[in-house]
Amino acid sequence: MHKWLGGEARRASLPWRRAVLGAVVAAGFVTTGFLATIGAAQAAPAACAALQAKYPDWKGKTLVNAINPHTPGYEAIDPKDPSKYVGFDIDLGEEIGECLGFKLTYKAVTFAALLTTLASGQADIVISDIYATEERAKAADFITYSKVFDGVLVAKGNPKKITGINTSMCGAAAAENTGFVEVPLVQALIPQCKAEGKPEPTLQLYDNNANCIQAILAGRADTYVNDVNTVDNAVKANPATLEKAIAVTIPYSVGIAVPKDKPKFREAVMAVMMEIYKSGDQAALLKKWELDPNNLKEPGLLTVN
Amino acid sequence: MSLFLHYLSLPYLLEGIEVTLQVTALGLAGGLMLGLILAWMQLSRFRWLSGIARGYTVIFRGTPLILQMVFAYDALPHIGIKLPAIAAAGLALACNEAPFIAEMLRAGVLGVDRGQVTAGQALGMTPSVLMRRVIAPQAIRTMIPAFGNEAVSALKNSSLASVIAVQELTLRSTQLASSTFDFFSIFFASGLLYLVLTGAVGVIQLALEWLLDLDRASRGRKFADYLPYLLPWRRADLATKLELTEKTAPAVAADAAMQPEIPVPPSRRLTREDRTKRAATIARNNVAVEVKQLRKRYGAQTVLDGLDMTVRVGEVVALLGPSGSGKSTLLRCVNHLENWDSGTVRVGGRRLGFQDLGFQDDGKPLTPRAIANERASVGVGMVFQQFNLFGHLTARENVAGPLRWVHGLTKIDADRRANELLDRVGLSHRADALPRHLSGGQQQRVAIARALAPNPSVLLLDEPTSALDPELVNEVLEVIRRLAVDDGLTMIISTHQIRFADEVADRVAFLSGGTIIEEGPAHEVLSNPRNPVTARFLSVMETDKAPEAVR
Repeated sequence: MHKWLGGEARRASLPWRRAVLGAVVAAGFVTTGFLATIGAAQAAPAACAALQAKYPDWKGKTLVNAINPHTPGYEAIDPKDPSKYVGFDIDLGEEIGECLGFKLTYKAVTFAALLTTLASGQADIVISDIYATEERAKAADFITYSKVFDGVLVAKGNPKKITGINTSMCGAAAAENTGFVEVPLVQALIPQCKAEGKPEPTLQLYDNNANCIQAILAGRADTYVNDVNTVDNAVKANPATLEKAIAVTIPYSVGIAVPKDKPKFREAVMAVMMEIYKSGDQAALLKKWELDPNNLKEPGLLTVN
Repeated sequence: MSLFLHYLSLPYLLEGIEVTLQVTALGLAGGLMLGLILAWMQLSRFRWLSGIARGYTVIFRGTPLILQMVFAYDALPHIGIKLPAIAAAGLALACNEAPFIAEMLRAGVLGVDRGQVTAGQALGMTPSVLMRRVIAPQAIRTMIPAFGNEAVSALKNSSLASVIAVQELTLRSTQLASSTFDFFSIFFASGLLYLVLTGAVGVIQLALEWLLDLDRASRGRKFADYLPYLLPWRRADLATKLELTEKTAPAVAADAAMQPEIPVPPSRRLTREDRTKRAATIARNNVAVEVKQLRKRYGAQTVLDGLDMTVRVGEVVALLGPSGSGKSTLLRCVNHLENWDSGTVRVGGRRLGFQDLGFQDDGKPLTPRAIANERASVGVGMVFQQFNLFGHLTARENVAGPLRWVHGLTKIDADRRANELLDRVGLSHRADALPRHLSGGQQQRVAIARALAPNPSVLLLDEPTSALDPELVNEVLEVIRRLAVDDGLTMIISTHQIRFADEVADRVAFLSGGTIIEEGPAHEVLSNPRNPVTARFLSVMETDKAPEAVR
């Protein structure tokens, strides 16, 4: 039984909830009285105990996770209890923390500020559906953990007949968040459109998903290209006015960003991610949050010097 | 609608208000402190201080708050200052508000009538007493509306803290909108919450205006009279109401008519014999004021050109002469309200502008504080053309206040002295009135009482009746006349009232071009001027009224 299936949401302000990594493990492993009060038969797996022994520096600490909580399914506040953040990334972060013995608090920033917040030391880790690119890897090290599929959000009926990030976007207005990888992809269309004698696509830059979606609803923008699950959630919330034109593959992975000057921390997170992947927890998390299982990917590293 | 109400009462958003208020409070409190320092630096007489303040203002007024927020949050940690998000936002807001608040403070301070400042200086107030007792109480009243604006703007600006992860109302609203997709209900709700907050600021502002309203007690204005200011459609209504209150208040003119006349006993008029006797007595008296070779220029213009003058104890000297002849400047030098370029001024034997210790001047001017103390101890009173009463104080306080602040009298002693003096100038029945509810003549009589309160050895009167309506001139002249005749006070009066000079002055000095071109016994000079300039001036002044013959 996976802890995740219990659907326990994490408090943004009171993050500490004991959870268990991996499959059910026989009783007899270290169990504290505190644990016993929270749930039955919960125990840290041997792998985590070993990892805590190997990477003891963060045990008992409270770290800050910088997030851009505007992506339901990955990270957003719980509509039922706005004091909590919920989503795939939130659960993943909590699980990493539990395995290494640290707690997490959350810092909500704009998407463009995620890596600067990390670099300035105002946050210790960024788990916020951020794509690991070479460019961003100059600012932080990434542990990649998910493939990227983008959806193309358009108004119902796709009036501009957009078929992806291609010349069908010529002359269209694309809403994007500042700092999104889709921004340069749309910009790259400008010379192509010119070559074909078509008008250039224009970009509208916002700072969260809600504003991008509102731009389409208000008729200001024609399309918004972002993670396919985000797009699906937007369509689910506005079925009469929005639709997904198409899903496209983007040649990036989603990554956890850690500070460049803390290789030991990167190593520890990487090791835990391998455990989570191998144990099947990652697949279970995707299922819990109704995300596409095809996103699953073996963890990797992206660092640039 | 139900969603709107749901979000309006959502604890998550209400908690955001608390954070919003914290950031705003930090910003305003910090901004006020920094603003005070900045305003003080800008008003300082040291150039380098005001230069630094101007540089700060240029930078922090000229860059967007959002950048300052990001700087305080993300850049300061690189130099080892890692503030919590709310503190970083509060710091950025404070740094941003400071120059605006400083400008408000500066405008408020500079907006206080210069004449009152001069009057305070003449009474021997040090710069800090002057600031605390005269300037600040009046400046604060005028600054409250601007402060209200600033508080509202700070409250709204605090929403920019959302970019640095401060969980205030705006950030909470956007996050909630992202996760629920109820974009409009949420933003209407948070908009209404902001309106409630800014509305509360408006109420606080009006309450303060009411509390500090000088007419609150005397005119019985109630807070309820102010509230309609919040409701635009009732503004006209309010205007009429306040006007009504004005009308029902005792009218100044009527009041002036009711005041007791100051009777002039005819026996007090001086006869020729009296004058001769008086002149003989005065000639034996000590020197009260001695001015030697006084020179002063404003830029290229010479105002005083080697002026000499001696005034003996008990003597009344009238300074006559056209405007710009240097009369006012001379009086201001005798009270050291002005510095001079060369020459000496001695009052009661003490040389002004020099330390008591007696060593020679080292070339450095005295500090304003030292000059104030000098004034207080030398004892020169001054009465101004424009009265210059402290506008926020009652007639009694105008007299009693300086006695407490400068001369250290107790409240009881100061009030007793004030009542006694107001009685002497025939105004005991108006002791509790504010200057603006007094007629010009009454104000000038209070000003005379104020100048007399510390028992000055010399009283300087700078055109004391020039700003008065003709029918009010006599009540003031009568007070001055009594001071001369009954009290034997040493006085130097600059005046255009030739007849008054003739009656009251022992001596007149005629100034032109910064020197005394003719002086001598009053009646003699006024009846038979020797200098053609004096003669011409007198004939112009006296075309319709010749000097009254002395009986």
